Amino acid sequence: MNDIGEFTLLLALATALYGCVAYVMSARGNRIDLYLSADKTPFIVWVCVTISSICLWRAFLTDDFSLQYVWAYSNIELDTFYKVSSFWGGQKGSLLFWALLLSTYMLVVCFQNRKKNLRVVPYAMAVMLVVLIFFLFLINFSTNPFERIPLPPEDGRGLNPLLQNYWMVIHPPTLYLGYVGFTVPFAFAVAALISKDLDDGWIRMTRKWTLISWFFLCMGNLFGASWAYVELGWGGYWAWDPVENAAFMPLLIATAYLHSVMIQEKKDMMKVWNMSLILLTFVMTLFGTFITRSGLIQSVHTFDEATLGYYFLAFLFVIIAACIGLILVRLPLLKSANELDSFLSRESSFLFNNLVLLGIAFATFWGTIFPIISEAVRGVKITVGPPFYNQVNVPIGLALLALIGIGPVIAWRRATFSNLKKNFLKPVLAGIIAAVALFPVIPLGSRTEIYTYVTFVLCVFVLTSILTEFYKGMVSRMGLHDESAVGALATVTWRNKRRYGGYIVHIGVVLIFAGIAGSQAYGTHTEKHLKIGESFEIRGYTITYEKLVAVEATNIKTRIIAQLAVERDGKRYWTGHPEKEFYKGQNQPVSEVDVLSTWKEDLYMILADFREDESATIKVYVNPMVSWMWTGGWIIAFGSMVSMWPDRLEQRRRLDRIRKQEQLFPSPAQE
Amino acid sequence: MQTSKVLMGLFVLVWISMGQVSVVSAGAVLQDLENALMCKCDDKCGKVLINCTCATSDKTRAKFSKMLDSGLTIEQIIKMQVDEYGETVLSAPTKFGFNLTAWVTPFVALIAGGFGVRKVLLAWVGKKDGGESIEVSEPEISEKYSKRLKDELDGIEL
Repeated sequence: MNDIGEFTLLLALATALYGCVAYVMSARGNRIDLYLSADKTPFIVWVCVTISSICLWRAFLTDDFSLQYVWAYSNIELDTFYKVSSFWGGQKGSLLFWALLLSTYMLVVCFQNRKKNLRVVPYAMAVMLVVLIFFLFLINFSTNPFERIPLPPEDGRGLNPLLQNYWMVIHPPTLYLGYVGFTVPFAFAVAALISKDLDDGWIRMTRKWTLISWFFLCMGNLFGASWAYVELGWGGYWAWDPVENAAFMPLLIATAYLHSVMIQEKKDMMKVWNMSLILLTFVMTLFGTFITRSGLIQSVHTFDEATLGYYFLAFLFVIIAACIGLILVRLPLLKSANELDSFLSRESSFLFNNLVLLGIAFATFWGTIFPIISEAVRGVKITVGPPFYNQVNVPIGLALLALIGIGPVIAWRRATFSNLKKNFLKPVLAGIIAAVALFPVIPLGSRTEIYTYVTFVLCVFVLTSILTEFYKGMVSRMGLHDESAVGALATVTWRNKRRYGGYIVHIGVVLIFAGIAGSQAYGTHTEKHLKIGESFEIRGYTITYEKLVAVEATNIKTRIIAQLAVERDGKRYWTGHPEKEFYKGQNQPVSEVDVLSTWKEDLYMILADFREDESATIKVYVNPMVSWMWTGGWIIAFGSMVSMWPDRLEQRRRLDRIRKQEQLFPSPAQE
Repeated sequence: MQTSKVLMGLFVLVWISMGQVSVVSAGAVLQDLENALMCKCDDKCGKVLINCTCATSDKTRAKFSKMLDSGLTIEQIIKMQVDEYGETVLSAPTKFGFNLTAWVTPFVALIAGGFGVRKVLLAWVGKKDGGESIEVSEPEISEKYSKRLKDELDGIEL
């Protein structure tokens, strides 16, 4: 089977190479025979990569330690669940997984666009194949997951205990689906540049793909935060690690693109800008991959055998040079009649939203690469950690939050004073009321507390602005049709999925802002060394250490579990079981925290240490409003689903608009 | 006038972002120290001390706790750590010399971008205004039709 896996990888590479050349030649020479031949290659490549992936999965599930990769990331005792996820636990498998996802995406794009738009699609397929060829080249010739061990050992080294968590099965695939997904809009953008087909066709063809990729990237980031929160045991969820930054940056740039592209769709403006944004998004996804695989920047996420830095750096440079070159060559064709009715309009607010989003992305990028710059300039390596990002990004983030509230209530084209007064009155009033009401309640002793106060006030302003939009839509619908309030709200959302789905996403973002602010400013923690029966208090909770239990979970895993009784107002409220897990052959034990999560706050318990006399060091955090973030994430997911849902009305409206345009500007043939 | 306002804004932003130094330095508590320093364990975990859960971090915390109890200030302990491990032990760049560029550049870029966006917007609005040489008088539309028009415009893919 391993030979089959290895052979199909080579076959995939050869087929992809042929497909790429054939697609380009078919487009350049208008050769339909070549196109039809090339159009078979995505399916063949997908079959080959899938077979190869199945072979690797089989090796994991059958404990085939003759493969170096399986030996390094699995062992006989590992749960089947984690044997499946070990596939992407290391560099070699993660590259194969990337190739599998990309070939699957490519196959769907191929079926979706078969015999459509033959000016753009062949080039788009060729670009996707170029990216796939790069990955297949690495897998075949540099980090082959089917590399053998001459004398196979009886058991494997095992998966890193930190990766033995259910999020391991969810987080990396979600993030990869986002990363890889941006290859599709990137490929179509490059194809549009090559084919000179630079109207908004490529945007329409890839709008859903962009949304899907954005959705997965967003969820991937949130799942990663959730994983860090429950697994790393430090009471936090985001550490501004270079690899976290690398996943955050494309998300920001893609968000900017999703907003500014609306202006191009509505007014045929900002073609160069939108093109640059989507190309930059893809470049940043590659940058993230480069960081994890180069070992150049220190990160907790870096793979053990991070040796592919030069390959990725070279590929990154080629892609950047090609993108810049293409944009420069096509600049005359990308020029559009950029006109605005007024400085005060939604279009302007979108531009400022782009500025702020890119500002955060740049600050994050700058912080990520500054250690390299410092080493190059001063010869001194420094660290850029959370204090830097928090101080720089928080004020910019607050500006972004304000813009989320301003955008929806400012009119398209031109906002007049009366229009502004009418639309802003309620949100501003709500903001003022919140500011006055919160002032005596919220401490303002430190800069963090002041930021938190501002965040809460802005959250109220933004929420009111969004809910007002829903209310206006609902009332308008009820005025025209005899519908109930709930019915009207549902109909107005359903008939304008893209708009109201976007608003729902914004509500989720507001909750995330509130959750971050609350947990950062008002959290507290304490650490106590206790004997059995001893208690301590934290924020109104009385925590009593009841017992310590050792459990031989498997042949390689021992669990040491502390039992902690939590009392509130004299009554038993909850029983916590934080634990430490010891894995055979691993130096460091792993903390498994226990969390009591409520809407108000999380009670987060860690068994930090224990001794033979059964005394234990217990660390307890009270983290307010953390669940607001996760709720915000699910609301974002729901809003994204609404936005992505196929909309026949929207298609009909677009067709009507195109027909009207054709009537206004008949083509020469019609004349 | 506009430039001076923007410069004032830049000054306020930088001032706010730099204010943290005094806040951190003022609170002589272990948590501030843990926030200011990286964990220097053998595994090179790359975590800020406050976020690290490894055995080395526990030992370091205990050591710092004793040092604070002995009367050493945060600044003194940080200096000792920098002397031992170099600047890489700090969780954020210092705010002087070349490292200052780390703090200032994002804001400078943002302000420059703001100027750029403003210039672009003014140019686009100017183009439109320049093109509208013929004034078209707006017909009077009743409130009912105006509302209906707005509703329908709202209905068009936004």
